[in-house]
Amino acid sequence: MIKFKNVTKKFGSSAALDNISFEIEKGEFVFITGPSGAGKTTLLKLILGEIVPDSGTVMVDDVDIATLKKNDIPFFRQQIGTVFQDFKVLSERTIQENVEVALAVIGLPENQWDERVIHVLKLVGLAKKNNLFPSQLSGGEIQRLSLARALAVNPKLLLADEPTGNLDWETSDSIMKLFEKIHEEGKTVVMATHNLDIIKKHKKRVINIVSGKITEK
Amino acid sequence: MNIHVKTAFGYLRRSPFQAMAATFVLALTFFVATLVSVLVYSSSKLISYFETRPQVIAFLKDDATQDAVAQLQHKLESDTRIKEVKYVGKPEALSIYKKSTINNPKLGELVSPSIFPSSLEFSLSDLSFAQAVIDEVKLEKIVDKVGFTASIGEETKIKDVVGRLRTITTYIRIGGAVFVGMLGLTSFIVLLIIISMRITTRREEVEILDLIGATKGFIRSPIIIEALLYALFGVVLGWVIAFISILYLAPSAVGYFGDIPVLPRDSMGILTLFGAILGIEFVIGFILALAGSLLAVSRVKSAR
Repeated sequence: MIKFKNVTKKFGSSAALDNISFEIEKGEFVFITGPSGAGKTTLLKLILGEIVPDSGTVMVDDVDIATLKKNDIPFFRQQIGTVFQDFKVLSERTIQENVEVALAVIGLPENQWDERVIHVLKLVGLAKKNNLFPSQLSGGEIQRLSLARALAVNPKLLLADEPTGNLDWETSDSIMKLFEKIHEEGKTVVMATHNLDIIKKHKKRVINIVSGKITEK
Repeated sequence: MNIHVKTAFGYLRRSPFQAMAATFVLALTFFVATLVSVLVYSSSKLISYFETRPQVIAFLKDDATQDAVAQLQHKLESDTRIKEVKYVGKPEALSIYKKSTINNPKLGELVSPSIFPSSLEFSLSDLSFAQAVIDEVKLEKIVDKVGFTASIGEETKIKDVVGRLRTITTYIRIGGAVFVGMLGLTSFIVLLIIISMRITTRREEVEILDLIGATKGFIRSPIIIEALLYALFGVVLGWVIAFISILYLAPSAVGYFGDIPVLPRDSMGILTLFGAILGIEFVIGFILALAGSLLAVSRVKSAR
């Protein structure tokens, strides 16, 4: 599903990713790990089409990201669910509205929103708090909201950038259980994390990056 | 409610003072625009009144047959320079005479209808046609004499009045257009600033929407709708205030100008005039809002 071939991405003179190649199959759960500044987020940004590689190719579902036209990028992103480390939820909208926005973005008819919203909010355990604003939620709950929004669009691929980075162990564990559940439903999950406890507990494939190079696949 | 409209109303609710500033500036523009439009309408009516006021009366010979009169009447009616052709028979001429001598009834008693010639009365679409039309009508076989209500030494005066009114109307039109244009430009700049501020304060939201796959159209829609709402409120507010003010002043104006129809006399005419002004203002307001918001959103960061 995802294919990196000799990908290099530089910011200034320093290479965030240096000639890396790997493949992720459909339905896999993969941890991207490594120390801070190793290039994990850069790798996810390349998959999402936020940035393009300086050399090499990034293929997602046989589509070369670098060849995507500007106008096609939104439609490409609509097929990917993304959970961000800093949540990136809309602070002036309620939980329900945050999820509805994602559904509006993919153009789902409004009469199908309620069913989908209730389903994902139940899945992440926020169904009873649907009318609250993000400022009224805890960090873990906001991360669940971010996950609910990503899942609402029924993505083929779920990207998560340090989804447990700001959370305590207990909350992180509950979030990870949700990711496991989603993976069991057949979704491809790519998660960047530097939390070794999580990696040890959930025995999944690990791609370890150090200074922009892959040291373990 | 559509999610974009809901979002746009949310923007208005969260920044009421910005919304009020935009709405009031637009309202001021359209208030002045409505007044200028009515002023231009009234001055045009005033000119038209003075231009068509002079009447030409073609007095017919006593031996003129009904057929010949009808033929001449038809000929005059089909002339584009001539308006409102009316046949005045001998009895009607007597009754007009009696009305004009009502203060001295004896004068009326001394005459019979037979001494009054029948006539064809008409007005002109423009005063400048007067001489040519009179000359042509004089040549008609059944026409005895031609009278012109403005000809007894007053033609020059009327021409002067019309000329002066034309000059004033031109000044009203140019001055009004410049003033409304300046206000329109101010409204446009205020809209541009407010929408740009909105985009700046919503940058994070725009970035999030961009990352979750929102198209440019999706991101821009609420911002454009917000600008259209400002235009809608501004046009309606400005128009309503101007409408009420003119309705309040109308009786005095109509009383002052007497027979001159500076404003429509019936409610249907008033509604048609103001309805047309409102319709045009909506179009201009929406163009203004669209142009301002599109220019502002064109500065939104591209996808990558």
